[in-house]
Amino acid sequence: MKKFASTFAIALIMAGTLGVAAAPAQAQQKDIDLKGDVKLEKVVTGENGEDTVELVTPDTIVPGDKLIFGTDYSNKGTQAVANFVVTNPVPKAVRLAPDASDELIVSVDGGESWGRLSALTVTGEDGAQRAAAPEDVTHIRWTLASVAPGASGRLEYPAIIR
Amino acid sequence: MVNYHRAFASTLALSVFLAAPAAYAAGVEAGTLIENTATATYDDGTGSVSVPSNTVTLRVDEVLDVTVTSLNSGPVSASSGAAVLTFEVTNIGNGPEAFRLTANPSISGNDFDTDIDDIAVDTNNNGTYDPGVDQILTAPETTKVLAAGEAIKVFVITSIPGMVLDGQKSTVDLLAEAVTGTGTPGTVFAAQGVDGGDAIVGGNGADDNATGSIIIGITKVDLVKSATVSDPWGGTSAVPGAVVSYTITANVTGRGTVSDLVVADIFPAGTTYTAGTLALDAAGLTDATDADAGESSATGISVKLGTVAGGTSHSVTFDVTID
Repeated sequence: MKKFASTFAIALIMAGTLGVAAAPAQAQQKDIDLKGDVKLEKVVTGENGEDTVELVTPDTIVPGDKLIFGTDYSNKGTQAVANFVVTNPVPKAVRLAPDASDELIVSVDGGESWGRLSALTVTGEDGAQRAAAPEDVTHIRWTLASVAPGASGRLEYPAIIR
Repeated sequence: MVNYHRAFASTLALSVFLAAPAAYAAGVEAGTLIENTATATYDDGTGSVSVPSNTVTLRVDEVLDVTVTSLNSGPVSASSGAAVLTFEVTNIGNGPEAFRLTANPSISGNDFDTDIDDIAVDTNNNGTYDPGVDQILTAPETTKVLAAGEAIKVFVITSIPGMVLDGQKSTVDLLAEAVTGTGTPGTVFAAQGVDGGDAIVGGNGADDNATGSIIIGITKVDLVKSATVSDPWGGTSAVPGAVVSYTITANVTGRGTVSDLVVADIFPAGTTYTAGTLALDAAGLTDATDADAGESSATGISVKLGTVAGGTSHSVTFDVTID
């Protein structure tokens, strides 16, 4: 995919320098394009005193702020792809927000095992098993049986800065 | 702001973070990079393929906030000279910050305003002001840069002015303000945070204050001496052979205590001490110089009362006979 390769190259220039070359992108054509972004959830109090939630481009972020990490995927190829799995490690400095959907398939052990959060347990500091909490989530995973040519979609998860 | 950065793996391996209870609590350190990358794997018909997304990077900005707490359990007693108030200043922001300190002695309701001499830092961290050891801050009094979560003890050293009265109180307010700036919570100081990030005023306004009080304890001793005369005929005539019973009452008043209090008296000329009559609070004392508090000599008596608290009184009694 030329598009992907060129986008990545621009990113490298913006970063200034990078030791790792982008050669693998040219070695094999990729049909799938992934594009990540992040928004800050900002509560704006209107003139009438009612609060509305806006998603804005993060400018100043501090602990406690809520972020929405998103990944747009699209199949730019001519063939459907199968067993499409997107895996997203949760950055250490954030925790999964408590209002995240329980439909999300997550891991609380570094990606070893997976399931809905409500079905997972972790070993507490006292050595006893306890129900997993949103802050225990280390990875999030989305699975689609197939993505048709030209199809696209968006995957999101909410997180709070620790 | 979406940045494309090089990998900063070491920055992310900071420590185990605890869940932040609310916005503007200390939380992750300012300058921490939050990097998010998703990876897709799929089967394109020829085999398994893996594709990463771009990495979205955010830098955590710096929260400016502070608490000031009085470490004195109550008003500090003083009578004159220096009085020291102790406070704790804690950086509850998430980045390194220094704080400017201001001690204000002019507080509404004060009986008197004490004089502020210095603000010092508890350099040896023992909770007690040690002159010559603990660093006295020079104007404008400013703490060193405190790491996120770091606390220091601070002394406000004051002088009690003259003309103060027992029981009078003076309150001193210690204010700490983030050097970067203060303001209403949410105020942003662009590019003044860690690593060129923003600094943002936290929930306390990036400043805080606490008060400590000094209470004057001036302790006084008043001695009142009285005498009753009993003549040999049942009367009260001061004639030879009559017995004079002296009572010396020591009244200690004020909020503090006096130490090493000794009540002594000299026998009047023309009288002779009646041996074995010396008593303190109606309890007999021997005349000898020994373990008990009293003693008598050829010329007078002496009773050691030691440390006596304000608000108490003691009476020393003895008899003499008119020659």
